[in-house]
Amino acid sequence: MSPFELAEPRSLKAALKILDANDPSVRVFGGGTALMLMMKAGVFQPTRLISLRGIEKRYAKVTSGQDGSLHIGALITLSALGRTAMVKKRAPVIVDALRTLSNVRVRNVATLGGHLAHADPHMDLPPVLIALGAQVVTAATTGSRTLAVADLLTGYFETALAPNELISEIIVPSQTGWRSAYIKLTTRAADDWPTLGIAVSLQTDGKVIQDARFVVSAATEKPLRLPSVETALRGATISDAVLARVGEAAVAEAELTGDAHGSAAYKTELLRVYAGRAVRKALAA
Amino acid sequence: MAITLGKNNSGAAEFSSVGRSIPRVEARAKVTGKAEYVHNLRLPGMLYGKVYRSTVAHARLHSIDVAAAQAMPGVHAVYTAADIIKLIPEPYYGPAFHDQPILAIDKVHYVGEPVALVLAADPHVAEAAAQLIVAEYEELPAVFDEVEAMTSKAVVHEVLKPAGTFPDLKHLKDKRDTNIALDFHLRRGDAQKAFAEADYVFEHTFRTQQVLHLPLEPFVTVADPTPNQLVIHTASQSPSFVRIEIARLLGWPENKVRVKVPYLGGGFGAKLYIKLEALVSAAALIAGRPVKIALTMEEQFYTLTKHATTLRIKSGVSKDGKITARECEVWWNGGAYADIGPRITQKSGFTAAGPYDIDHVSIDSYALYTNLPPAGALRGFGIPQLVWAYESHTDLIAKGLNIDPLAIRRKNILREGRPQATGTVMRDAGIAPVLECLAQRMAWEKPFDQGSGTIRRGRGIAIGFKASISPTTSVAIVNVGADGSCMVHCSTVDMGQGSDTAMAQIVAEALGIPVASVTLVHPDTDVTPYDMATLGSRSTYHMGHAVKLAAEDARDKLLALARDVGLSAETTPIPDIFRKKYGMQAGNIVGIGSFIPPYTPPEPGTGLTQDATPFWMIGATGAEVEVDTETGEFKITRLVNLVDVGRPVNPAIVETQISGATIMQLGFTLSERMDFDAGQVTNASLADYKIPGIRDIPAVMENEAVDMVQKSGPFGAKGVGESGTFGVSPAIASAIDDAVGVRLTSLPLTAEAVYRGLRANAGKPLKG
Repeated sequence: MSPFELAEPRSLKAALKILDANDPSVRVFGGGTALMLMMKAGVFQPTRLISLRGIEKRYAKVTSGQDGSLHIGALITLSALGRTAMVKKRAPVIVDALRTLSNVRVRNVATLGGHLAHADPHMDLPPVLIALGAQVVTAATTGSRTLAVADLLTGYFETALAPNELISEIIVPSQTGWRSAYIKLTTRAADDWPTLGIAVSLQTDGKVIQDARFVVSAATEKPLRLPSVETALRGATISDAVLARVGEAAVAEAELTGDAHGSAAYKTELLRVYAGRAVRKALAA
Repeated sequence: MAITLGKNNSGAAEFSSVGRSIPRVEARAKVTGKAEYVHNLRLPGMLYGKVYRSTVAHARLHSIDVAAAQAMPGVHAVYTAADIIKLIPEPYYGPAFHDQPILAIDKVHYVGEPVALVLAADPHVAEAAAQLIVAEYEELPAVFDEVEAMTSKAVVHEVLKPAGTFPDLKHLKDKRDTNIALDFHLRRGDAQKAFAEADYVFEHTFRTQQVLHLPLEPFVTVADPTPNQLVIHTASQSPSFVRIEIARLLGWPENKVRVKVPYLGGGFGAKLYIKLEALVSAAALIAGRPVKIALTMEEQFYTLTKHATTLRIKSGVSKDGKITARECEVWWNGGAYADIGPRITQKSGFTAAGPYDIDHVSIDSYALYTNLPPAGALRGFGIPQLVWAYESHTDLIAKGLNIDPLAIRRKNILREGRPQATGTVMRDAGIAPVLECLAQRMAWEKPFDQGSGTIRRGRGIAIGFKASISPTTSVAIVNVGADGSCMVHCSTVDMGQGSDTAMAQIVAEALGIPVASVTLVHPDTDVTPYDMATLGSRSTYHMGHAVKLAAEDARDKLLALARDVGLSAETTPIPDIFRKKYGMQAGNIVGIGSFIPPYTPPEPGTGLTQDATPFWMIGATGAEVEVDTETGEFKITRLVNLVDVGRPVNPAIVETQISGATIMQLGFTLSERMDFDAGQVTNASLADYKIPGIRDIPAVMENEAVDMVQKSGPFGAKGVGESGTFGVSPAIASAIDDAVGVRLTSLPLTAEAVYRGLRANAGKPLKG
């Protein structure tokens, strides 16, 4: 690792001010867990790092919207997120996903904003947040905007963020009437990047599924919603036959890539089986 | 309280120190962060070294441009082989072959081979400068597969250079155009004739993958050129070897080289012989300053690994399941440098037919050079690869003949008093007792729930054995002070296995004094005597004998001293004896012990010997699994690991040795595999190379030493470090086969491989 300058601004405004849009060797970080690995590997050599840890505390807090939505400060650490009573109550799927997300040392420092901005397709929370219909609020010196998490992630380690734009908040809409589940499949050790991630949110009325969001991740360039699966679920009452159709729809739509975790063919078979299992897990949530 | 010499317990049935689970003597220092490691060592004026490594697998090295690195501010020097040769004209090292250059000379043989070294006071500067080095290569054809290496036109080393240490390598001296670094052959009876007469002949081929040790403390060495000596502080399992080999390279007497080893953060066979020591020593002597090299976790992938293997095994069997003949061919992928591979080829190779009583045995075992990172000793010394093959094969024979896996083992098991394939008669080898204990623990003869629907259950057993490496020497000194406290000087390295505690218990027992009054002097070749190395589960037996003999020698001298001054040493506190002799608290008693067990080398050609090993290690595993038939995913629900370690010196430490070895082998069975692209490791990090975590350990794991005594061992004990590895892989593969009828013949055992097997069995193989 080479020497670099470290800036520790005390406000978000100050951080934005020193973030030079034209110099890619200047970067912000929250927990730094992903950035440090890139620096250790020599993939990224910064001239200046801007730590966001000293900015206003409100950017690490969770508050409730009037409509029952969760407003989560982007600088909240993953372990603090998992300990927040309001999150446990309103979006328990987030807490469930955090149990097997990396390890406690990483969760203690990694931030939700960094987790999203890094845009690694193997991350666990992006598919979950997309299934929950979450949005991000961004900040830049020129102003603020709100966009869906699904629109934030544009590709393999790529986001819609401008070079001088930061995520300030994540909004999870009210989940009343919805049930969600996330399945992280690992094929080597239990502590590993997922081979395949599946996140499902279902809006139910009795036994009938009214609406659905179905997201696949880790084996795709970015987390992907699968509309054909969602169509197959809407209006359906769950049976083995419906879940078999869901599995078929998922593998017909998603193009999965093979890697050291498994071949594309095997991951496809996992998706075929686990699509239905994820739906059952969501209904049981 | 004054210490009095207790009764001599050497012949007793009841012991006061041995056999007790006393806490490890170093436990408090370790958990409070006060234990000493080379990693923490900083010397005044010390330079840090960073290695520039080859980026190609096999090439002529045309030129190395170090100008930019040298010009970088803060860089002290950049060295290549040209600089090393000025100090050490023949800079090649290795325990079996003098094949490994300190830095690459003329050729590179694998991706990751050290080519140049940058020294700087700031390690970050050294690292940045190393990235500025440019080498020009003329690439040569490379060979990566061990079977192809037998006949490949690509030859890793033009000429073979045996070190001269081992007689069975002498015939390879100056041999050209071969990758075979040792061919070991064992012939007992007439296997070919027996195959012709057998009711059935079974033949299978098995493979294991290349993996590595990954101690959490990577390789680290500091060399300090003092006015009188070169002092080497190193995380090594073999300080005596390091001293001898560095002295040989420099042409110095042994006493000009001092090797000091504090605690190790794990070794597992990686930190044996010469690793960083030659490079760091040469750099320190050239620079005239202390030099430290601490490898990163990633660099361990380029330093030492475990042999990938291909194993072909063929058996002649009678209708009722008696194995009459067995033929084994084993190809060991040794990588670019032989390291200790040729010893694995022979010392473990001779057990390739398994712990079975077979009249006709033929074994051919080949150590091969390839253009991959070197392979050497790793916890089990080749035995886990062999057990994987012969136990999988045994189960396939049982399945073929519709015989129960336990029944076929009972019918063929090598019993006490019967000759092993070499002709060595089995003594104190609890093979049958361990097998019976496993059968009982697994309730093997009771009905077993095979599951239903998409979850199917299965179980499997496997048993293996290992000879101790022989002949090897251990020397120890026991120094009793005038207050009765006692120091043990021995070069056994406590790398986490608990040897300090075990040696203290043995010395306390032999002297009849409390364990708390015994301390261990850590390996320092200026003050601790010779020991071959801490390897192959040899310390408890060999060094255990040496410290016991030293303690008994000290005891005899104390008794004589007491007699001289008219006292009885058995009733007078030790300090009073010294005081009466010297008039004050003064003087000491020094006891010396030296141990080398008897051994008969194998006959060339037949591999036969009447005395192959001082003791046998036995390990067996039983596994129960649940397989998801829709995905091939499986879960190990229960793992039972039983070993014969003789009488455990410290039962609690023995249990952790069994579980530790088992979990390590679990990683090699399920998840660990070095992936390569044209010889380049593509997963050289803990993020991409997956060792087991706490959530990968089976919910139920039972680890136990079966009630046995090694009569020739110190207080009935023998080695324990590796036995837990033996049966793990084949027991799990067998359990999967029992559950869903899929037999995997290559490691690691992955869910995808099981799934593909299920699809193939259903006549719908998975494409792609």
